[in-house]
Amino acid sequence: MSLSKCFEILGKYYPSFLLGVRTTLIVAFIGTFIGFLIGLFVGGIRAIRPDKTARSSSVIFKKIVDIFIKIYVEVFRGTPMMVQAVFIYYLVYTNIVRWDKMFAAIFVISINTGAYMAEIIRSGIQAVDPGQNEAARSLGMSSMQTMMDVILPQAIKNAFPAIGNELIVNIKDSSVLMIISITELMFQSNSIAGTTYRFTETYFVTAMIYLCLTSLSSVVLNAIEKRLNNTKTSLPQSDTSFKSISIAKEDL
Amino acid sequence: MAIIEVKGVRKGFDGLHVLKGIDFSIEKGEVVCLIGPSGSGKSTMLRCINLLEDIDAGKIVVLGQDISEIRDINAYRSKVGMVFQQFNLFNNMNVLDNCTLAQKRVLKRSEEDAKKIAMEHLLKVGMVDFANAYPSTLSGGQKQRVAIARALCMDPEILLFDEPTSALDPEMVGEVLNVIRQLADEDMTMLIVTHEMAFARDVADKVVFMDGGIVLEEGRPDDIFNHPKNERTRQFLARII
Repeated sequence: MSLSKCFEILGKYYPSFLLGVRTTLIVAFIGTFIGFLIGLFVGGIRAIRPDKTARSSSVIFKKIVDIFIKIYVEVFRGTPMMVQAVFIYYLVYTNIVRWDKMFAAIFVISINTGAYMAEIIRSGIQAVDPGQNEAARSLGMSSMQTMMDVILPQAIKNAFPAIGNELIVNIKDSSVLMIISITELMFQSNSIAGTTYRFTETYFVTAMIYLCLTSLSSVVLNAIEKRLNNTKTSLPQSDTSFKSISIAKEDL
Repeated sequence: MAIIEVKGVRKGFDGLHVLKGIDFSIEKGEVVCLIGPSGSGKSTMLRCINLLEDIDAGKIVVLGQDISEIRDINAYRSKVGMVFQQFNLFNNMNVLDNCTLAQKRVLKRSEEDAKKIAMEHLLKVGMVDFANAYPSTLSGGQKQRVAIARALCMDPEILLFDEPTSALDPEMVGEVLNVIRQLADEDMTMLIVTHEMAFARDVADKVVFMDGGIVLEEGRPDDIFNHPKNERTRQFLARII
């Protein structure tokens, strides 16, 4: 392998690489975002515990929904995304509608990510102190209001590192979507390698590009995480307007 | 008329009987302190009144209504304020938002009204300067005073306190008890589970002594603390004082 050859390939084929980077980033970002929304919804539903006062019909309904969610999560975590991509693409293509490949790719990566996100959000919710829920309910807030205003914001903050990790995973793993021939980075690299017959050099360039993308993303994610944890500073101080009362035992 | 009437309330968790027939009542404007050893069911009793737990037998009548028959539980809970041992301020919002959230969501007050009311109550508990502070930056005593203000913002008919000072450093107990004392002076109806005996004697109109899931003795603080009739009460007070 020669490094000068690498630069040569990069110099000659950079428009193709750039198109690949663009497609990879679009698929990874949109897929992670939609996956996150799916995760919020599914994980949120999963975490709801029916009240003791809930009607038995809604308790049964919740159980059925839970089973479907479990199946969804198990299936999409338990099969390779590459297989999901070809299967879903052709299933829809031959039976329902001749859909756009790019759309199919985003669809697959979104529901795949959604399955992981659902578990991430659920554990984020479970990490929120139960007292938060009790306090909101004791003030008369409904379980839905409590979830939206109090629990989820804290759960997302808890889960942020894991959510960011999903983005990095998606930047890399979107490479398997080349199987349905969208113009993402891996697919572009294959065609460049096929043209130049310089497999080692081409894929070295590809690997470096992926590394740049993921490193940049981690830097950005770390910065965001730092901001999230940066609580507004106003140091506690004793309030002198209230005199401490004596609670000495001699009083009794 | 009694604002809360508890009649023969029983409650168990998986075969463990925590409440074994509790009876007591609270009049409007009265301050009742619930005392007794740990595990005697005091906190459970409070949680039942707020419908955080439901009871197995007996009856709890609040403001003339059997609470097991209440349809709109959220509206009921907004009338019965609760202050927790662990404060439970919403960590994701500042002091002011903590106080306005439920006003806006439950009582449908406007942002402006909610803020105005919140500031009044924060002023009352001496926390108005901390309106923009986040809970993580406050001391325990400050958090608990905010929690009291948050409960007051809902204009509750009664406040329930579940060991409001048990999680506090000793020097912060006073500031919280002072706020509660001030509420007592304003004739707020309160049911307080506490281990602060001096405070109970000072502020309570009635003291209820619970042990092992039953009420062993109740009466005026002077009678309970100085002339306890029950042997168990005497033992408990002797050990604690």
